[in-house]
Amino acid sequence: MIRSGTVDDGTRIMKSFACYVFMVLSSIVACAPIIYADDLLSMSGRLDLRSVHALQDDSVPEHPSLDGRIKVSAEGTSWRFHSWIEGGWDGSVKGPDHEHGRIMNFADLYQRSTPYLEFKELCLSYSTQALDLRAGIQRFAWGRIDEYPSNDLLNPWDYTRFPRKPLEDRKIGVPSLSASINNGDWTVETVWVPVFVPYRLPLPDERWSGTSIAATMAQIPNAEITVQEPDLPDRTFKNSTIGMRMKYLGTMEWSFNLFHGYDPKPVFKTTSLAIVPIGSSIVIDPGYVPDFHRMATAGFDASFVTGGWSLRAEASYAFHRYVNIRHELWGYPTNPGPGVYPLDPAEEIHDSIDYGIGADYRLFEDGHLTVQGQQTMTLGNVDDLYERKIESILWANLKTTFMNQKIETNMSAAFNPEHNDRMIKINGWYVVSDAWKAGATWIAFTGPEQSFFGRYARNDRIEAEVRYFW
Amino acid sequence: MNSLPVQSAKCGMRNGRQLRNAPQPRSTSAALVFLRVLCVSVVISVFSSPAFAISGRDIFEKVHEVSVKGLDHEISMTMVLFDKNGGKRTRTLTSYSKNAAPEAYKALAVFKTPPDLKNVGFLVHARTFSNRDLWAYFPEFKRVRRIANTSQDDSFFGSDLSYDDFTGPANLDDFKFSLEREEVVDGKPCYVVEVTPKTRRKYTRYLAWVAKDLWVQVKIEYYQDRDIYRSGTFKNVRLINGIPTPFRSEMENRKTNHRTELTIDNIRYNTQFSDDLFTQRSLERAGK
Repeated sequence: MIRSGTVDDGTRIMKSFACYVFMVLSSIVACAPIIYADDLLSMSGRLDLRSVHALQDDSVPEHPSLDGRIKVSAEGTSWRFHSWIEGGWDGSVKGPDHEHGRIMNFADLYQRSTPYLEFKELCLSYSTQALDLRAGIQRFAWGRIDEYPSNDLLNPWDYTRFPRKPLEDRKIGVPSLSASINNGDWTVETVWVPVFVPYRLPLPDERWSGTSIAATMAQIPNAEITVQEPDLPDRTFKNSTIGMRMKYLGTMEWSFNLFHGYDPKPVFKTTSLAIVPIGSSIVIDPGYVPDFHRMATAGFDASFVTGGWSLRAEASYAFHRYVNIRHELWGYPTNPGPGVYPLDPAEEIHDSIDYGIGADYRLFEDGHLTVQGQQTMTLGNVDDLYERKIESILWANLKTTFMNQKIETNMSAAFNPEHNDRMIKINGWYVVSDAWKAGATWIAFTGPEQSFFGRYARNDRIEAEVRYFW
Repeated sequence: MNSLPVQSAKCGMRNGRQLRNAPQPRSTSAALVFLRVLCVSVVISVFSSPAFAISGRDIFEKVHEVSVKGLDHEISMTMVLFDKNGGKRTRTLTSYSKNAAPEAYKALAVFKTPPDLKNVGFLVHARTFSNRDLWAYFPEFKRVRRIANTSQDDSFFGSDLSYDDFTGPANLDDFKFSLEREEVVDGKPCYVVEVTPKTRRKYTRYLAWVAKDLWVQVKIEYYQDRDIYRSGTFKNVRLINGIPTPFRSEMENRKTNHRTELTIDNIRYNTQFSDDLFTQRSLERAGK
């Protein structure tokens, strides 16, 4: 059982975290004079200080955060080492009370991030004229469309800041081996992830858990929500993930993708709701845990340019995908008192087809519009699902810069017409210098509780942010 | 990716220029009318404008020849952006280019600094000087993106140079040329040529000062109708492998008073890079 605890008691933790950072940095700095001399090593980094003002009184608060990332690359004629280390304090007010070290691991779904250290990438690659081999912690980018590409399944996501984090930041690097064979306009890439890596979830009483049964229970006075860390699939080769991508470059570029492994999309199995008064608290186990199932997908993506439009499209067919039925059918008692209540099964298996198209268009100088539409068609009887037979996400983004890119603005709007839920994000940056920029973001969500964006309807907020690059 | 920093050549290859036969009069009277018109035209043109032994188009064909000679190159350069309040930002990048007959050229540009642009790259495959494919790569996203060819006059990463300035010579047939006058710029005798695009561009015309002995531009002014909006100079022209190369360029937006200085830090010609350098794979690896 995992309970959430406050994370302000972290003096000892911070010290150990500082030691990690110090060791990493000092070893890099120690090596730098030797390697820099031959221009073999390059380093860059970023520090990000953010404060948040929640716009709803009943939402979970968030502390100011300080995140840093360091990217180190060392290159030889045919080999290359690359690492991307990220860490800091992400501003969570609550976190799991169990100890798991300060480096994000591949075994826990619920992990503390105040402070944290994560290897987003750490890999060694060897290249010849026709072959690229890579080993280590890697992130991949398959598919063509933005934000929710259906063929991009190799990296599970970190949902602890979803949907605040952009796609590239929410991907969890996976320990993997990959090989690409290049022959003219053709490339074939194969990836093997030998160890199962789960996605990460926020605890039900954390800010970005979204509306869920557990999050609703967390609002009961004196309620203490405990969640169960699920049993992960055995770490055997049988449970490894494989992917293959065959890419052709031409007037129209296209790729064919195959994936076989554990579904990176969260799905839950039910156990029993347990309500236990302990002293003045009511300890509640909401009665569901993440469940992991294998699936296979076959997909296609393509891009081409016509006139002023740059078009991207992708589609994938997922075989045997587990999905949850709507919450009302999970078997929760209407007015539960202390006790244990077995719940009904909450999973169904469906095939599904995801498809989408996106387009980039230059509206005016330094003003670029991206529009995108994607749909998921769930096959079979969907009467028990919250999702309709066809679920859509329409998404638009306008990126503009002014004063020779001293000012950057970014406006995004996403809409799910089936449930009338939406997200709006408006962001502006002032570039003070090559090293500093400062900005503000407004983000708002509306919609029904179980809908894709509506589950974050209590998360409207304004952020102020300062970034330092080096 | 060189027209401004390296060759100062805005225009490219001779393309389908046609010689026309003189018209054959159908009758004597018609011939007389034609001759009269011709004489009057000649007299008017002699007294209304200076006569040149060379046309604007001829000048730009020579500029093009110089430009093509320098297509095989590797250039490391520094761009310094100055805003009107004295603020300064610096970008360093390396551009690689290859004369890719029967394609016009292939080019790759990769940023080294600032940190948030590090390894951001552009790849150009020009099938002809007016038909090119563009790709961009942003390391954070790990994704190569095809981009439409409509941003050619937009600011190149906040500078006062345009994407077009970095994507090689254009097609001569897309422009009209008119030799206006001769002037001396920084001690160099120059032809001043008015260049008017035939297609819709951000500018309605530009004036180019082409050094007579070198066939490179040493000064340029872009106009939107009557108003000048961008002007630049190309200085410190050195002969590298026989190719005149301006090592220091400056471009200013006259409406915002923002200006950009571009300095060549290192240059190599006749590089004869392999095609492997100009692939998406190479773009993802920052040209390495």
